[in-house]
Parts: sequence; structure tokens; C-alpha cells
Amino acid sequence: MRARAVLLLTALAVLATACTGTAEEATTTLPTEVGDGEGKVVIVAWAGYIERGDYDPAFDWVTEFEADTGCLVEHKIAGTSDEMVALMTGSEEYDLVTASGDASLRLVAGGSVQEINIDLIESWDTVDPRLQDAEWHTVDGKHYGVPYTSGFNVLGFNSEIFGDTPPDSWSVVFEETTFPDGASNQGRIQAYDGPIYIADAALYLKSTNPELGIEDPYQLNEEQYQAALDLLRIQRTLVGRYWHDAYIQMDDFKNEGVAASSTWPFQTGILASEGFPIDKVVPKEGATGWADTTMMNSKAPHPNCAYMWMEHSLNPKLQGDLAYFFGTVPAVLAACEGNEFLGPDGCAYNGSEQFDEILFWKTPTDDCNGTADPGTCVPYYRWVTDYLAVIGGR
Amino acid sequence: MTDTSTRPPLLHRVSTYLHQRPRLRLLLMIGLPAIWLVGVYGGSLLALLVQSFFRLNPFSGVLERVISLDTWNTLFTGANTAVMIRTVSMAAVVTVACVVLAFPLAYFMARYAHKKTKTILVLAVLIPLWSSYLVRVYSWKLILAADGIINWFVERLGMEAALEAFLNVPGIGGPSLSISLFGQFLVFVYIWLPFMILPIHASLERVPGSLLEASADLGAQPALTFRKVTWPMAIPGVAAGSIFTFSLTLGDYIIPTIIGDSSPFIGLAIYSYQGVAGNLPLAAAFSFVPIAVMAVYLTVARKFGAFEAL
Amino acid sequence: MRKKAGLGLKIAAGFTLAYLHIPILFVFLYAFTTEEATFKFPPPGYTTDWFGVAWQNSAIRSAVSLSMRVALVSTLIALVLGTLAAAAVWRSKFFGRNAFSLFVILPIALPGIITGIALRSAINLGDLKFSFWTLVIGHATFCVAVAFNNVIARMRRTSPWLMEASMDLGARGWQTFRHVLLPQLAPAMVVGGMLAFALSFDEIIVTTFTAGNQQTLPIWIFSSLVRPRSRPVTNVVAVFVILITFIPIVLAHRFAQRAEES
Repeated sequence: MRARAVLLLTALAVLATACTGTAEEATTTLPTEVGDGEGKVVIVAWAGYIERGDYDPAFDWVTEFEADTGCLVEHKIAGTSDEMVALMTGSEEYDLVTASGDASLRLVAGGSVQEINIDLIESWDTVDPRLQDAEWHTVDGKHYGVPYTSGFNVLGFNSEIFGDTPPDSWSVVFEETTFPDGASNQGRIQAYDGPIYIADAALYLKSTNPELGIEDPYQLNEEQYQAALDLLRIQRTLVGRYWHDAYIQMDDFKNEGVAASSTWPFQTGILASEGFPIDKVVPKEGATGWADTTMMNSKAPHPNCAYMWMEHSLNPKLQGDLAYFFGTVPAVLAACEGNEFLGPDGCAYNGSEQFDEILFWKTPTDDCNGTADPGTCVPYYRWVTDYLAVIGGR
Repeated sequence: MTDTSTRPPLLHRVSTYLHQRPRLRLLLMIGLPAIWLVGVYGGSLLALLVQSFFRLNPFSGVLERVISLDTWNTLFTGANTAVMIRTVSMAAVVTVACVVLAFPLAYFMARYAHKKTKTILVLAVLIPLWSSYLVRVYSWKLILAADGIINWFVERLGMEAALEAFLNVPGIGGPSLSISLFGQFLVFVYIWLPFMILPIHASLERVPGSLLEASADLGAQPALTFRKVTWPMAIPGVAAGSIFTFSLTLGDYIIPTIIGDSSPFIGLAIYSYQGVAGNLPLAAAFSFVPIAVMAVYLTVARKFGAFEAL
Repeated sequence: MRKKAGLGLKIAAGFTLAYLHIPILFVFLYAFTTEEATFKFPPPGYTTDWFGVAWQNSAIRSAVSLSMRVALVSTLIALVLGTLAAAAVWRSKFFGRNAFSLFVILPIALPGIITGIALRSAINLGDLKFSFWTLVIGHATFCVAVAFNNVIARMRRTSPWLMEASMDLGARGWQTFRHVLLPQLAPAMVVGGMLAFALSFDEIIVTTFTAGNQQTLPIWIFSSLVRPRSRPVTNVVAVFVILITFIPIVLAHRFAQRAEES
């Protein structure tokens, strides 16, 4: 019993260290070749990321892979980044995880994922060069995953309400204002209910309140952090409901009279395709975004199949279909051409041209992601507690 | 009892043996459930309690395995107590509403419905339990939305002004029914209602019709009969049902994310601290709020005979 | 003779019934909508396509099958444990009897998330792997309470003299159990079993913490509600579950009633 308790505590400690970014030494040596498949690969993924044609036979990027490699794909859907971290920590069950930037570094720091040998990924060179060495999966020059897809938190708005004067600033969701239809924005805007949204407030303050000296919205000192919380408290009085899942938000645009909100191209794309008057913009302050990376468990039970999947995950057909399915920008830009669903402008609609205006999710750590002394920045666990308090009206 | 001779004699011997040794028989009966519930379940709860005395380092967020009361201190800061008060008040209001709505139906079923009608009614109360909780909660989203089903009828009846006035009531109103506290309340009541109807019905079934007739024969007005005879007999059922409605509201974390104004409830707070923040000590400490509330509640409910009516 | 129910009572009872069922009518309605992602009232058009989509979806079939198996095994375990516990509490006085009966109902008296978190931390502590059996442990824990409640309620109404009489007439313990007690308890066990099965079949919160990467039906529904092009399919599944469970409920209820009368 005692030994078990110690084990559990160690696991908890690892989980907790994960939040702070103290990197552990990688103990595994890199594989030099991909051997025969183990017959199976188990992937932790966002809903809709691993499709085998269950819903729509046109969206199937698994069946062919299984036939070609003999690796049967199983997947576990995770609802949040934090659930992904929890699932991967200490797991000997899962091989891969499609981690967003607010989870990936925690996974690396916690030793839950292993460095991968990019020489074994034939299509690595086709990956968008802007993503190849991205800081959310590359630590000390080591690669901990293969980019999968990325998307932005854009400002979505009802184009009927805004008419000829579309918004160009996040101010419409942060400050009380009158919309072109003559009514206040109160009760007609939404905000994302994840703690990472504090970064959106910080990004807005970065332009509107330069004295705060915010450089990176994921690395906030106490003063900057409190300013962001104050802004969010004002927002609370304007927000009817915070959005949590994409479908409920689409309902809210359609049935609740929501006029403007941070959203994903996914929602605006589907609503537009249903003929709903909606548009989206990357406001002048810029936007946050998420970039997902397929990462490999440090104790992956089926490493060869995992490597085969990582290679397969970069094929342009899959990348293009996924980008259409999810309103994202593919990690392989070649996927933007000739995809039957995306069409010629699909990638541009999803934002492939606006990459430079986007600040991708990172996990806030107390040493400002390794750029300052510990204790300088406000760590993520406080973001969670405080954001919950803000939503509760505190 | 003609088949006794075909029974293996061993069974006879065992049963006679046990019959003569009530202690051993009790041990055998109680052993498995006790290991399961006290050992596994009780042990799990205890492990959870222990973890609430660990803490996160306030600067780095690293878990520190030292016994401290820090986590419990954080638990009782303003934001968290607000969550507790909100949740417990909602649970109380939902419970009262469930009693009010459940009683007439349960009473009708127990007292007036004939055999066939009664069967149909019991099934009608059971059916919602069988259809997916999630799908039903999502369907309320559309029912309550600003351009949803209720509104569709309100518009056709020309009662927009009344709805508008209602939504302007501070505290319970909001931009639309589905974003209001009142809408959330409606969904909670809806979802837990069968858990109240069934025990009330069961305890009313046990009220002999003759008792009520006697009361009437002795000249009691219906209201008096209700107050002095029916209600006291129903109290154990009400108490039993309220254990469900109260506890289910305390812990639910799905309804508040779908309906209402996103204000956090205890269940949601525990879920976020555990999953999102990796703050297991705080999640564990928070878990003991509903445990404490329910402990008090059960003690009171027991006085009212709830355990005999569950 | 019973009197007729007053109008006020009828209206109040009817209101509660309507409250319980109108939302389910809308669940039915939206199984036929032509919309794929977001719903609007009234639906713009009607189709039966979603039934075909659901029928061809193998994930639904395996989720239904897993949920059925978990519910069945949990219910059986719960009936055995619940009946044993009820018998112990009913027939004997022992030290800690009150505490014990409290422990039996605790898993349903405490919110599911507590049971879930506690069991998950125990699963981690015991270094167990998530499996069919971790699901069953989670579900059986709260199902025991339901079985216990129904059985003990029935026992309280069973005259102890009945058993004494059986014994006096020379029946052995086993015979008394088999021929006297069991027929008395059967209706309560059927009703308790039905409730336990229903609770397990539709449970999502404890399941979330004990499932690992297995998909029970509620977990499938939860992930499908936030997944493209499958929203009306969840309504189809809900309708389907009501329809297939309707007949067994009716039969079980009939049985319980008949046994009650005889």
C-alpha cells in the first residue's frame, strides 16, 4: 500500500512539474528505422480528427491506412487539452496524441512524449516551414511531434447586424458599445470559456494599453495579469453565456441573437454554408490560435505503427480533407491545391495567409516559458482558478 | 415442494449449518457488500480526503506533498464560497419545485388511477429515465432559446411583452430563457423530476384508502385530511426523493455548461480543478463540500424516515 | 369505492406529465430534421435519412453493445450484493448496522462526480488498467443502492412470521429462501433491477472517470453532440433506445405487478 501511495504521489508530482516547464532528460534513444507494424495504433484526439467514414463516407482517412499498413487505428476522443495531458500522463496504452500548444509543452516537460526522429518521416519536408521548428513542439532543437493542423480564434459577427461597418477590433467584445443596429452589445456577445482566453484579453491590452508593456500574452507578470482580469470582469457584465463547444455556439449565433464573439472559422464556415449571415475577421490587434501536433507517447506500445501514422498524417489528401472538415489551415500547404472540398480558396478562408498575425497557444509557466526567473510570470494553474472566478462574477 | 429430494444434500447441510450459526451467516451475507462499499468505495473517499491536505506551491504550481491547510484556506475564498452558495441554493429551490410538481401526479397515481392507467403512468415516469439524459438536455437548449420553441409560441400568442418583462427580472432573468438562471432551474427540475415522483408514489401507495375514508367519515375537510394524514405519510417519500434531487443538482457539471449564464457550479468547479488545472488537492477539498452538505442532509432526511422510503 | 379525482388535481398531474414528455416529443421531431449541424424551430424539412446513417454506423452498435453488457453485469452484481446487504440489515442487529446501511446508499446520495473522482484515484492507486471491469465497478457501486432500497422496502413489508411458519413446518433454510422468501422478493428485485439497469445504461458522469478509452453509449453521444454531421443521429439513437427498451420495461412491470398480486 505504501509503495503504491508513493507511486501515485510521484505520478502527481510529474503531472505538476509538467505545469512548470522544468524539462526532464529524455531517456529513450531515437529509433533509426521503422520496423514492421504491431497491428495497432491508439490515438488520443480531438473529436473529428480521426475520421473513418462513420458519418460521411467521403471523410475517411483511416480505412486506407489500415489496409496499407495493417495497423488498426483506435482512438479516444478528448474534450480538452487538460484531459489530453491527464490521459497521456503515465499511460502505456496510447501511442499518439493530437496535442494543442497549451498542452504540448506540458507533455514534453512531463516526459509523457518522446522525441521523434524526423528523418523517419519521409514527408517532413512538405510541412509548412513556418511550423517545422515551432516552439510548441521543438525544445532545445529536438522535435517532439509532427504538425497536424492549426486554426485561429477569429472574431465572428452577424453580418446582417453589422451591415456596411464590419468590426475590425476586439473592442466589440471587450467594451460596452452600441452596435450598428442601434442596440447595446450587452447580452449579445460571447467569449470562450477556457482559461487560455485570458491571453485574448492580454492581446487586446497589448495594443490598447501599451504602458502595461505586454509582449507575449502567454507570459504575463502580476500587474499585466491583473489588468487582463479586470478587463475580463468588465466583459463578464456584457457576456450572456460563455461558449464551450462549437455546436452550442453555432446554435447561439442562430437562435440566441449573438452578434459577435471570438470563434473558429469552423463555426462561421458551417453557418455560412447554411446561408446564415455571418462573417469573420482577424482584428487589427491580431488573434490567438491553436496549432495541433501529433506527439508520440514516451511509452508507446506500438511505436512502428505510430511512426507510420505520423507519416500518413501528412498526406495532402488527409490534410486537405481535415482542413475543410475543421476549418483549419493544413500543416502541409500542398494540401490547399486541388482538394475537392476545400476548393481554390478554402485555405485562404481558413486563414493560411494570416499566419503572422497569430499568436499560438502556449502553456503559461512561472518562468515565462524559460525566458525569465521562476516566479516572474503567472503560471497556468492560477489562470484556471481566476478565470473560473471571473465567470462566476468575482 | 416436491423437488426437495433432487436437491443436492450438500445444500441442505450448508443451509442447516448456517441457520444454526447466525453470526457466521451474517458475516457471509455482509462480507461481500461490506468489502465492496466500505472497503473499495469508502477507501476511495478516504484517499481523496488525504489528497486535499497536499498543496500546490503558490509560485510554481508544483504539487507539494506536505500536510497543510493551505488548500482548505483557498477553498473558502470569496469566489469559491460564491460557487457553493449558488449551487446549494439552486439545489434547494430545485428540490422544492420537484416536490410541488411531483406530488399531484404521484397522488393521482396512488389514489385515483385504476390498474391499467397506473401501469401506463408508472411507465410514463420511467421512460424519461431511459432516454438519453444528454440528448434531453440538448433539446432544452432549443426549447428555451431566444428564437426557440417557447418563443415561437409566445410570438404567435402575442405575449412577447410578458416574456420580455419576465426576463428583465434581475437575478433570474437574462438575455433569453436559455441564458437565464430560471431556464437552468427548469432544466434541473425536468431532469430530476422522475427521481422525486417514484418515491413519493411508493410511500403514498402505502397509505391505506380506509385511513383516508375514516378521516373523512370523522368529518375532516379534504384539506385537513391532507395535512394530518396524507402529507405525514408521504414525508418519507418526499425526503427520499429530495436526497436524489438535492445531490444530483449539487454534482451535475453538464447542465450548467449548456443552459444558463455560465456561472460555475460545484460540480463544474471540481471538474475544472481536477482536469483543467491539475489542482487535485483543491478538487479533492472541493469534493468534500457536497459530501458535508449531503451528510447534514442525510442526517435530517433520516429523521423523516427517508431511508425507509428510498 | 374510490371517488373521482378533482379537476385541479387532474390538471396539476397532467401538467407534470406534459412537462416530462414534451421535450421528448421534440427529441423525436428532430430525429427527422433535414438540418445537419444546428437546429431551428420549426425544422426546415423532414427526412428519414438519419435512421439509415445511424444504422450503418458501427461505432453506435458497439457502444450500444458495451453499454448493454456493462448495465447487465452491473445490475446482476448489484442485485446479489444489494439483496445480501438488505437481508443482513433486515434480519440481524449488529454493531455498525446503521453506518453500514448508510454506506450502502452513499453512492447514490453523493453526487456522481465525487464517486467518479474517488474511484479514479483508487484505480490509479491500485495501478489498474481501465477496462470493462473498471466500468462495472463504477456502475455496480451506485446500482447496489438501488437494488438494496427496493429489496429492503419489500422485506419490511414481508411478515417475519411467514418464514418462521415455513421453518416450523419443517422447511430447511434453503427451502424457505427458495419457496417462501424469493417469490416475495422477486417483484422488488425486478423493479430494482430495472432501475439499476436504466441508471447504468444512461450514466455519463461516473463513466467519464472510469472508462479509459472505451465508448459507452452516453460517451458516444457526448462526443457526437460536439462533432460535425452527427447531431440528428444522436436524436435517432435516443428514439431508438426508447423504442427498444419500451417492451422489456412493460414486460418487467407486468411481471412485478402480477407477482405483487398473487
